[in-house]
Amino acid sequence: MSQPEQPGRPGGGADVVWSIIGTLVAGVLAWGGIGWLLDRWLGTEFLVAVGVLVGAAGAFYLIIRRYGSG
Amino acid sequence: MATMPPLAREGFHAPGIEEFEWPNIIDLHLFGLDLGINRVVLQMFLVTLTTWLLFYLAFRTPRLVPSGLQNVMESVVDFIRTQIVLENIGRDGLRFLPYLTTLFVFVFLGNLGGVLPVISFPLNGRMALPSIMAICSLLLFISVGVSRQGFFHYFRTALFPPGVPWPIYILLTPIELVSTFVVRPVTLAIRLLANMIAGHLILSVFFVATGYMLTSMNISTLFGLGALVFSVALVAFELFVAALQAYVFTILSAVYIAGALEPEH
Repeated sequence: MSQPEQPGRPGGGADVVWSIIGTLVAGVLAWGGIGWLLDRWLGTEFLVAVGVLVGAAGAFYLIIRRYGSG
Repeated sequence: MATMPPLAREGFHAPGIEEFEWPNIIDLHLFGLDLGINRVVLQMFLVTLTTWLLFYLAFRTPRLVPSGLQNVMESVVDFIRTQIVLENIGRDGLRFLPYLTTLFVFVFLGNLGGVLPVISFPLNGRMALPSIMAICSLLLFISVGVSRQGFFHYFRTALFPPGVPWPIYILLTPIELVSTFVVRPVTLAIRLLANMIAGHLILSVFFVATGYMLTSMNISTLFGLGALVFSVALVAFELFVAALQAYVFTILSAVYIAGALEPEH
């Protein structure tokens, strides 16, 4: 199988795609969940939305940091 | 109208999610849990036995120049070795070859039930097996990471990506925690489950509709004939999906193991 030159870990392709999707979902779930819990605790209604946005931003930051340079 | 077959008179009922529910053949309740044996459990036993038999018969008396079943199974092992293990983990990963090969064959045979006549049910269309296999892969890559890097070092590199100013960890660590230890196994299981449910529903609806059209004795019968021809292609497609999903499950397990062996730099 012809492999492009990969100086780092072998692989790439499928795992990169799934890792990006997984990180995005995880960002929204983790911070959306924290926002939801805070909403319940504080009796507010907007923190879940803030959490989802913060999580998505964090996930984008992670993805760009990890795969942006390659 | 009286000459119409009963199927046409009753109208078309599309099969739904009840296709995945089977009654118990043997009832067994222990500690408040329903451990009854139904058709799916029997199929699980059958697939386990078949997986074991395939490897046992192929490698019982291995020959230098393989033939027959040994040939087939050697090519399966060789495929997992070169395309999954060496490609994604490297030589270091060869000790996981038995796990990954068994996983691939087991998932494939489980999926294969969906296109086999008489059985015609994909084992991985039920949540039990995909989730247990995903948990196995999760526990495996965690234990590989802990034994290779040590407990604290593994969780530090997994949860705190290097080269980030420390206040950012407040943002990133929850994401890494959910991404590595929750989203990975959940997506592994759901990807397989959803593909098998969708495939089985498509096949069921298609075949029931084909039967309905063929027996309706009007213009639909012509469409039924066309659908009958097309159903061969659909079964071939499901066979492809069965193999593809087994491959995806195995390769992602290998990728997770590779990530635990070699932390991010």
